[in-house]
Amino acid sequence: MKIFRILIKYEWLNFRADKGLLILTALTLFAGLYGIYYGTTEIERQRENIAALDVLTEHNVEEMKVKFLGDADAGDIGYYHSTFAVNHPDSWASLSLGQRDVNPYYLKLRLLNLQSQLYDTENINPLKVLSGNFDLAFVLVYLFPLLIIGLCFNILSAEKEQGTLPLLLSQPISLPLVVGAKLTFRMMLVLGLALLLSVVAMVWGQVVPDVRIGIWLGVVLLYCLFWFGVAFLVAALQKNSAFNAVTLLGVWLLLTIIIPALLNVYVAVKQPVPQALELTIKQREVVHAGWDKPKRETMNKFFAHYPQWTDTTEIQGRFAWRWYYAFQHLGDVAVEDLARDYQESLQARHQLVAQLNVLSVPVNVQGIFNAMAGSDLPSHLAFLQSASRYHDSLREYYYPFLFNQVAFTHADYDGEPRHSFTSSPDFATAYSGLVKLVVSVLLVYAVALLLFRVKEASVK
Amino acid sequence: MEFVLEAKQLSKVYQDKLALKGLNLQIRAGEIFCLLGQNGAGKSTTINLFLGFITPTSGAAYINGLEVARNVTEVKKYLAYIPENVMLYPNLTGLENLALFSSLAGFDYSKEELMEYLVRSGLPAEAASRRVGGYSKGMRQKVGIAIAVAKHAKVLLLDEPTSGLDPKASNEFSELLLRLSDAGTGIFMATHDIFRSKEVGTRVGIMREGELVDVLPAADLEANELEKLYLNHMHI
Repeated sequence: MKIFRILIKYEWLNFRADKGLLILTALTLFAGLYGIYYGTTEIERQRENIAALDVLTEHNVEEMKVKFLGDADAGDIGYYHSTFAVNHPDSWASLSLGQRDVNPYYLKLRLLNLQSQLYDTENINPLKVLSGNFDLAFVLVYLFPLLIIGLCFNILSAEKEQGTLPLLLSQPISLPLVVGAKLTFRMMLVLGLALLLSVVAMVWGQVVPDVRIGIWLGVVLLYCLFWFGVAFLVAALQKNSAFNAVTLLGVWLLLTIIIPALLNVYVAVKQPVPQALELTIKQREVVHAGWDKPKRETMNKFFAHYPQWTDTTEIQGRFAWRWYYAFQHLGDVAVEDLARDYQESLQARHQLVAQLNVLSVPVNVQGIFNAMAGSDLPSHLAFLQSASRYHDSLREYYYPFLFNQVAFTHADYDGEPRHSFTSSPDFATAYSGLVKLVVSVLLVYAVALLLFRVKEASVK
Repeated sequence: MEFVLEAKQLSKVYQDKLALKGLNLQIRAGEIFCLLGQNGAGKSTTINLFLGFITPTSGAAYINGLEVARNVTEVKKYLAYIPENVMLYPNLTGLENLALFSSLAGFDYSKEELMEYLVRSGLPAEAASRRVGGYSKGMRQKVGIAIAVAKHAKVLLLDEPTSGLDPKASNEFSELLLRLSDAGTGIFMATHDIFRSKEVGTRVGIMREGELVDVLPAADLEANELEKLYLNHMHI
């Protein structure tokens, strides 16, 4: 143990004197801090925008009250008045933004047909999507492996190339002890950095302290250990530093870019998702066709879904709001199957990715982080379902005014349902990913140790 | 313990090439054995077998009575090694390099003691606190000597140790070897330097194509005779 401590101490002295490694480590630290700043700023911006929506809704109500000074027809209010379905970020979202930048985190809703309102929101900047998120999860998943590669690519080869290995091994120490000490020092450095950044992000992001603290730190630890295992495996091949560097960068490229890209292509082919645009167009056609259909036919179809309004009065004249909302509603009913297929296809695609992510540890870890932060696709789909239910509740609120032909008063604005949805963590996905990660780590170390044992004799 | 270093029918074959053929050798405490031979004669292979860097194809090497192949780490407590080209950690100072290797060998010297070892080995005191990356080959060699001396080993293995040293430093090194020999250290030195062998050696061995073809007491020979004998063995 004393020898081990001595080796660690001199690894530190060597590291301290190596400007290149110091710069690499400092850059990773700054990238991590920037990632934390980016994540917390983005979530803070989303929170501020969501908070502003309440103000917008209040303004809209005030405008309605001015526009319709006395009692109003609920049809007018349903048409002109808008409210919002909001997806509040989980407190952990700042650590892993996931899909919160590409999917809308709020929807402006009116009493009109729902489906077009679910998918016609585009509040993203394509250029920003192209560059991607620079949150802490990105730094940990994609940049930390590069730090580990930079620290470890010549862990053994440098000793051979600079000629210090013979003198070192002429001391009463074994090669596994030397390699173990070198790896341990680097692990302490990298894990210290990763854990420090994680803690800073948790404090800065004011996360809810729950079991996720342990899961996050465990995943970070295992993920770093995985990359140390890969570096150890390549070192065990006993090749020169240039070979090791190229091989490790190749593995990084393979696991972080090539395999995810291939997975994307495979999943797109294997699990095609119908276009939301197709759904929107069909729904729009049905809604527009509603103007030309006989009112009786429209209403009968509508009453089949809402028999409680069957006995309400016959539609008279060219226009009635309840007829208008009935064919709006039937537009949603017409694309019900398409809408369900669309969401189920997205869910199935996500599940397929969750099965295949065993091929790429970075993809798996990114999935764990997103699941823990409630920023993955299932969380967004849950929000859409919540928004659908909210729209249903708006209908439930307004239909009695419309079909009983009751006037909508200023006091009735207060009775309008409000929506709130907060993304929640998906622990099942996180735990399943964690198990895969543990298996990956064990596998890589088993192979590395075996290879090291086989090749150990040729080291000197 | 009668012999501090011993080889019994020690052989090493690399693929189809016989690098060392049935070496039998015993070195007592205080004895200096110089092994002469051309490049590729098997001198470095012999040293690597005693260091446990390679395993013998047959036979056995012993250090302080312990079989090297079975006690690879243990035997290194009893031996020190100076390679032909001492390579050190370039980012550490001479003092730090010596402190590292000494502490790995189990010796925790004070800074003053470390400095004394370095200076006694011929390194200028002012250089000891500079990074080794700026050292000449001769300066590194002197740090290597300090590392070996500071280990107080029973056996000293030397592979062309005076390579890179100037004549004065070489002479000082010879004196150092004689002092270590007087203190009871058994020394095995592979070298090309016939005159240095005659000067410091107790016995001189001549190795050719992996075989120890002759062993002579150095005291009974003049340098010129030794050179002739060596050249005869080499068929030059």
